[in-house]
Amino acid sequence: MVTTSIRVVIADDHPVVRVGLRNMLQADPAVRVVGEARDGVEALELARTLHPDVLLLDLAMPNVAGMEALREMTAGNLDTRTIVLTGLIDKRQVLEALQLGARGVVLKDAAVEHLSACIRAVMQGQYWLEGRPVQNLVQVLRDLTAQTAPTPRKTFGLTARELEVVALITEGCTNKDIAKTFGISEETVKRHLTNIFNKLGVGNRLELALFALNHSLLPVAEGH
Amino acid sequence: MPGTETPLTTEVFDQLRQAMAADKAGFTELYREYLADAWHTLDQLREAAPHRVEEVRQRAHYLRSSSLVLGAHTVARLAGLLEEQARTSVSTDNDALDRIAEALREVQDELAERLGKGVIPADKTAA
Repeated sequence: MVTTSIRVVIADDHPVVRVGLRNMLQADPAVRVVGEARDGVEALELARTLHPDVLLLDLAMPNVAGMEALREMTAGNLDTRTIVLTGLIDKRQVLEALQLGARGVVLKDAAVEHLSACIRAVMQGQYWLEGRPVQNLVQVLRDLTAQTAPTPRKTFGLTARELEVVALITEGCTNKDIAKTFGISEETVKRHLTNIFNKLGVGNRLELALFALNHSLLPVAEGH
Repeated sequence: MPGTETPLTTEVFDQLRQAMAADKAGFTELYREYLADAWHTLDQLREAAPHRVEEVRQRAHYLRSSSLVLGAHTVARLAGLLEEQARTSVSTDNDALDRIAEALREVQDELAERLGKGVIPADKTAA
């Protein structure tokens, strides 16, 4: 019976990791390592020129990072199926990798145990996560999305305007600055501050700023 | 995880040895390269610590990566802690490097016992 090998490219910046993975895979007669890349640029180049069936992609590589390489692979409509290699499970990263088209995620410390099975599963059209094939990707994506959603900001009973005042206090604004920003009187600012101090149990502006920082009371800046 | 963490994860070592059964010399060479690279990375970490945190983070990640693949679990865990410290602080703890060195020496001793003294990199044999 004639069988075709699964052609694999390994992309990892660490030579010892590449040698280790190559040797693990050499034990599997169904798999053939056809190329090795030291960074994201080389990984993309090899994917485009060698058209491997599978790309084993480390996420933390120099030049073009793994996630960026994955994005470009997807944008380039390459047929290669990508399996992400990672040191630890970061659910946000796993979700992003899957959304960008990765077909599997293998932990580096489980590579020797799972890599061959993962490659085979992925070649059969399955996804691979947490050491096993995934039966229901939609459910996995839904769970990951729920688990990585930001938790609502605790406001400690402060009103929207009081939260705005807190933000300005932490920026070092004076009562006069705040009054000017909101078009209100300094007396009103003082009233807001008194209410804020009472609700949070702090005694001065410095304590308030520290409380705001320690309790994530400040709005998250766009793009971070 | 059980409380008895061994320097070298036996399952990973045994499976890798099985995968490389046809190339025993290559198997020893792989671990010798790992040890040489790990010691070198540790030297680079000592040069970069405690203040060049981005460099420390990258080097620690690099060390963690190969340690995970080859089953040096304790080194990987300690390198991961250092990586995290470098990510979140303006300086790192030099004691962390001593702990990594100690763990790496334990891995080296374990490997020497399993594979013979030949696995120890040339510049570490007298140490």
